Amino acid sequence: MSNLIAGLTSTTVSATTVLLLAGLGELISERAGILNLGVEGIMLIGALSGFVTASATGSYWLGFGVAIIAGGIFSLIHAVLCISLNADQAVSGIMLTLLGTGLSTYFGSSYSGASIDGFPDIAIPILVEIPILGSALFNNAATDYIAFLVFPAVWLLLYRTNIGLEIISVGEDPETANTMGVNVVRMRYLAVIICGAFAGAAGAHLSLAFTQIWSGGMTAGQGWIAVALVIFARWEPARLFAGAILFGGLNAFQLFAQGFNFSVGAAAPLAEIINPVLGFVFNPTIMSTYPYIATLLVLTITVIRAENRELAQPSALVQTYNQQGE
Amino acid sequence: MLFDVELTPRKEIPSWIGYITPIATILASLLVCSVILLALNVNPIKAYEMMFIQTLTTESGLIFTINKAVPLILVGVAVYLPLKAQLLNIGAEGQLLAGAIVGTWIALNVSLPTILLIPLMFLGAGVAGLLWMAIPALLRTRFGINEIITTLLFVFIAQRIVSYLVRGPMQQPGGNFPQSASIPGVSQLPEVPGLGVSVGILLATVLIICVYIIINYTRLGYEITVTGANDRAAEKSGISKYKVYLFVLLAGAAFAGFAGINEIAGEEGRLRASFNPGYGFTGIPIALLGRNGALQVMLAAIFFAVIFVGGSNIETLLGVPSEIIGVLQALIILFLLTAEFFKNYSVSMSLKSASKGGPRDNTDVEGGA
Repeated sequence: MSNLIAGLTSTTVSATTVLLLAGLGELISERAGILNLGVEGIMLIGALSGFVTASATGSYWLGFGVAIIAGGIFSLIHAVLCISLNADQAVSGIMLTLLGTGLSTYFGSSYSGASIDGFPDIAIPILVEIPILGSALFNNAATDYIAFLVFPAVWLLLYRTNIGLEIISVGEDPETANTMGVNVVRMRYLAVIICGAFAGAAGAHLSLAFTQIWSGGMTAGQGWIAVALVIFARWEPARLFAGAILFGGLNAFQLFAQGFNFSVGAAAPLAEIINPVLGFVFNPTIMSTYPYIATLLVLTITVIRAENRELAQPSALVQTYNQQGE
Repeated sequence: MLFDVELTPRKEIPSWIGYITPIATILASLLVCSVILLALNVNPIKAYEMMFIQTLTTESGLIFTINKAVPLILVGVAVYLPLKAQLLNIGAEGQLLAGAIVGTWIALNVSLPTILLIPLMFLGAGVAGLLWMAIPALLRTRFGINEIITTLLFVFIAQRIVSYLVRGPMQQPGGNFPQSASIPGVSQLPEVPGLGVSVGILLATVLIICVYIIINYTRLGYEITVTGANDRAAEKSGISKYKVYLFVLLAGAAFAGFAGINEIAGEEGRLRASFNPGYGFTGIPIALLGRNGALQVMLAAIFFAVIFVGGSNIETLLGVPSEIIGVLQALIILFLLTAEFFKNYSVSMSLKSASKGGPRDNTDVEGGA
């Protein structure tokens, strides 16, 4: 049993890292008013570029760095279209995902199925000795530790620095921010590039640390979960952190649930009703819909409960900002 | 920054821009795509020749193209109708899958002659697509929750439900593969006698004509167009925005459901776990290319059908990974969005004078440099 808990926890950490990195990036972008539905595609670009670089040079750190830069550059397409050319953010984001998925599978086809010696697990002395959970929580890849340190950094950036306040202000009310002397365009570009860099890092974690292989479309929808997660968290980093652990844990649980038989004994009362329900509820495929259903519920309940129909959503999200002021 | 860029919103969009945009977009996409082909040592001219000329000049190529155009026309309408009212149905893929599930179930469980069974399957699939949109549509009209995110979330739920069903309740009895039983012959779409194409194209053509008439010649179509142009003005003139929104979202979703069952009854023959055509997302560039009218949607869908058929040609003949289709699709959206900008704004550039900046410092475009 303790082995199981340790295994589950360890997989949860890795799965959480992916969602945490991608989700924090998306959160920053949305706080600046730019919805980025391209996360899935950017992650794949990051995963491939990191993998190829690490394979060619033997340095997974270099791979990780290249993935971050590639993610940032790739997201520039979204920034130019949405910020400079006033394009529809949702359409542009879908385009970015199609482009990233297509390009990474196209150029990655010769690497398909290849594996790599990626980030090794690093044990943190003393803490790793803690019974059961110690080896799961404190014996992870460097990218896991980075992600868990990036979370407080993003929180501090958003709420305790001028840059963060400017990012939030251009997402809430760009016109006012502009009159206050904030360069709306520059802040939005910055936010979108950060989002791309984070998504690139999330992809590289996936290919260089979590699975240590490359295969086309390997993100398998995690980029979309990251987008849902930001809404689930109602645009708050702390709630996003909790949500990433919840969704990451669910992801890990699905992998382990396949080996289990969730049922009560046939003698138990109502067993013939309870067992099919349990089988359905704990079916790994059905469980994989829970993040989306939870997000829908949070979205709906928040909006219905708030008297003024106000979501914590950044007010200027998805709206184009026109400097000319027509 | 060397240039001073002046953007002025166009008061009137010259009509030639409307015609040149789709063509220029496609040419630009093909040009960029040829660089990507060259990167894998593929001769782009040869590839495009196979992709377009061979597809359009051989009988089998034409039949494949027309059959492939059917679902694309239908998902194109699924995005086009909401777009008319300035809504975005990003989740056509989910409604398509819902239609495929229910249509397949009817084909497997109802025994009727073809002439009754196929209409029933399409009806069931249309209703399923519509119901799959019901929650996002209600949330949009009742609570103003953006339809983009909700329709998208429903795509992922639908994908997983398909995956669950073909491994569980709908799995072929006694089979090991994640797929349903084959649908019986009576439920498969017949060919148009003498032409070799599926009857789906007749249905799609009739539906396109209906959409054309509704949009251009009915009161409802007028209300949709006015709401899309300016929803506040529409409401002031007594048009119910909610009615319009509900109609375009639900009717669009029903079309996506039709596309789903058309794929099953016309192509696949059964529901598989790998049934993930991605057409729902192709509906977006189709609707954007054809946003001027239902007939243009049909043309755009046929164009994409050529790309799909030609793309699988060059995959088998030249060994080009078929993802090139996805890349080309993305590039078309990219250039469409760019073109949209130049359609709405006239841009004039001038060398920046030595004294810093013009009357207004337009960092808007410079930021992209």
